[in-house]
Amino acid sequence: MTALGTTGTRLAVRPTAVAIAKRIGVRLIAGVGVLWGAATLSFIALHVTAGDAALSTVAGQGANPTKEVLDQVRRDLGLDQPLYHQYLDYLGRLLHGDLGRSYQQRISVSQAIGEQLGQTVQLAVAAAVVAVLLAIAAAVLTARRRPWRSIASGVELTLSATPTFVIGIVLLIVFSFTLKVLPVSGNDGPRALILPTLTLALPIGAVLAQVLRSELEEVLEQPFILTARTRGMRDTVVRVRHALRHALVQIVTMSGFVVGGLLGGAVITETLFVRQGVGQLMLSAVTTKDIPMVLGLVVFAAFVYVLVNLLVDIAYTLIDPRLVTR
Amino acid sequence: MSPSRTLRSLVATLAGLSLLTACGGARAGTADGVSAEPARGGTLNLSMSLDPLCLDPHAISSDVEQIFGHILTDNLVYLDDKGDPSPWLATSWEISPDAKTYTFHLREGVTFSDGAVFDAQAVVTNFEHMLDPATRSPLAGPYIAPYEDSKIIDDYTLEVHLSRPYVPFLTVLAQGWLGMESPKAIKESTPAQLCEHPVGSGPFVLTGYTKNQSVTFARRADYNWPPDLYKRGGPAYLDGIKVDWVGQDAVRFNSLVSGQYQATGYLPAQNAQAVKSNPALEYHNNNRIGWPFTLDFNVSRAPFDDIDVRRAFAASVNVPAIIQTIGFGQRQPATGFLDRVTQYYDPNVKFPGYDPAKANQLLDQAGWTGRDADGYRTKDGKVLEAQSPVTQTATVSPVYNLIQAQAKAVGFKVNVNLLPLTQVTTLRYAGDYDLLSGVWHTNTPDVLYIKYATESIPNDKRLGQNLSHLSDQQIDTWLEQARQTTDAAKLRDLYGKVQQRLVDLVPGVPIYDNSVLWATSRKLQGVITDTSHATPVFTYAWLTK
Repeated sequence: MTALGTTGTRLAVRPTAVAIAKRIGVRLIAGVGVLWGAATLSFIALHVTAGDAALSTVAGQGANPTKEVLDQVRRDLGLDQPLYHQYLDYLGRLLHGDLGRSYQQRISVSQAIGEQLGQTVQLAVAAAVVAVLLAIAAAVLTARRRPWRSIASGVELTLSATPTFVIGIVLLIVFSFTLKVLPVSGNDGPRALILPTLTLALPIGAVLAQVLRSELEEVLEQPFILTARTRGMRDTVVRVRHALRHALVQIVTMSGFVVGGLLGGAVITETLFVRQGVGQLMLSAVTTKDIPMVLGLVVFAAFVYVLVNLLVDIAYTLIDPRLVTR
Repeated sequence: MSPSRTLRSLVATLAGLSLLTACGGARAGTADGVSAEPARGGTLNLSMSLDPLCLDPHAISSDVEQIFGHILTDNLVYLDDKGDPSPWLATSWEISPDAKTYTFHLREGVTFSDGAVFDAQAVVTNFEHMLDPATRSPLAGPYIAPYEDSKIIDDYTLEVHLSRPYVPFLTVLAQGWLGMESPKAIKESTPAQLCEHPVGSGPFVLTGYTKNQSVTFARRADYNWPPDLYKRGGPAYLDGIKVDWVGQDAVRFNSLVSGQYQATGYLPAQNAQAVKSNPALEYHNNNRIGWPFTLDFNVSRAPFDDIDVRRAFAASVNVPAIIQTIGFGQRQPATGFLDRVTQYYDPNVKFPGYDPAKANQLLDQAGWTGRDADGYRTKDGKVLEAQSPVTQTATVSPVYNLIQAQAKAVGFKVNVNLLPLTQVTTLRYAGDYDLLSGVWHTNTPDVLYIKYATESIPNDKRLGQNLSHLSDQQIDTWLEQARQTTDAAKLRDLYGKVQQRLVDLVPGVPIYDNSVLWATSRKLQGVITDTSHATPVFTYAWLTK
């Protein structure tokens, strides 16, 4: 990766509005393709795996339904239709923005996601902010400063290689069970948000810190940094005002990874801390084979992913116009 | 067919007797029996483990309804301390000699919280709602499956016709899942809407429901129709109840200790000792009516179609060792195929215990004399093995690994297959397994019909809970006869014979008696223990200041 500082002297090519629109158009079409692929693959995966969704809906442990009820459920859910019919039906509704109704909850999937989304967004935004701040702090403070650099890098490698649930359990043991300073779980108040946020933020922040530091170190080698230093600037000012600005572009590049990490990590974090949210919804939908709910969540996650990548792309076009003309 | 007689006088006598005795089914929640003057007001914070995602009692099978049922709704009957139905919204009833016609005399002056009146038509609407396939009733509907139709004699007299004799009909009406809902709400709501907002005639009214998060109930000011056995009247003492869903066992326990909640619906067994030794908490471990935690043999296929193999396997299972490990000392070993608090439980019927020498001898006798490289028994080149599908969860009970190890000691191979819930459910109804475990909680010895009647074996035409696929003509006859009489002596004889016959036929290994564990803060007084489910009833509970 090259920082802008090294190439800033090149002649900038101004992209036309048409070129930008074309680029975004291509990305949009690709995005729709990704959504269709995600929906289709999940549909196949859910129907190929063993297990009768109608039985699961009404005849679980402790239930004793009659055959009439089971048949009714099968009809209600459209599970008596041939598979291609169910698939086309699903795609048709998806085109109209209808994600269908949850088998288990008996409400529309969009409503179910809507009810849980706020909690997950709260957690994800808090974790993203903490991850970025931790990464910046670690990178700025330790870049090209031995032995701190090695220590921080070691910690980061350990964190990024540790499964999320292990981090969560360790935090719980230390802060909730032993020190008893933070609540074990729940959605009540900001205190209950601290441990889940850290659990989700630490592995992501660790990876970001690694990338950011190596970028920062590369920038710190550049001639313009030397120029700044010769003007008598203090080290900290050089790091923050000059080097960091360039290195931060990496965070934009990494945002796809960050969003992916947040979505995947939310399932584990919410389960561990018994938090409401989309992650919990996903887990229970998968175990009970609530097909519309699983499909809806997959399509929703794919949509978020596509959207973020589109925004990153647009941001790039603005930051580095060469990308369009290249 | 045995003649049945009018129950009216009997019921009246029983109800009177229970009122005289100190603990007629309902008892105060204080351990020392001292109850202070009730204080009014306050909100009870209650933690429960899992949101059923639907609160219509008729539409779910979740055990949550055992507690919610008595918060939101009232039942036609309430069980007395003998396990017989006693008056509640039905003040008395008669059963026809053929046990197919039930005439209910209903309580007057009862209303639902939406203003609808409780009368004969309301009861009919409720029965029809339970049975309507659109309700998707997994429990309430099936419990009254023989219901055919009703004749409204007058506003407060109802004649119910069943398609076949079924005396336990009266008993199951006391269960939380069969609470009476407002006929107005039933008629004006879709099944999905009713899930979100059921309306009952109970001491509390549903005021808020956020899925997977919380449920709130508020006191109904004009409530005045509890069962006689509660021995109190008028509206509830608490202003309201707030229920939070707290899924993780450790969290539910810790938040109870910290005082965040004054009661938890279902206490994890591993925390029982800690609750017992905590002076601020009161511990409840109540045995329940029904079928114990049992390992079912699938007797319809090899190897368990051979009764000697079943006997041998049962003798290889060290029940006390298993209970010690999984029950944390909180469970009692099962003695047979009925939980010991079930009406007509026979204490003289004893399931034979752990005896590895006998297990080995029986297997030798059955011809499983060869051994493979791993030490498992073989016969004609086939390994003696059993498939045991188990639902995969974050915390799979160690019971399966214990049984696996114990069976291995006598040369029996048990394959524990961890599978997603949906797949286990599918295998269960397809009969594709050798070993399956479970409990069945209900409030009548008719649970033996649900578990062992030939009629209850699942097949293409019906679902059912006879998962051992045991089909025995004698058992079928006795169970049918028991559905036709209210004569206690006859019932004792019939159910006793079934219990003995089951022990002889070994359709499974009973392991421990089902019990429900819950805990309350000592600040919470006056909790009643429900006679059907052994769960807490908060109608006349109060919080000390």
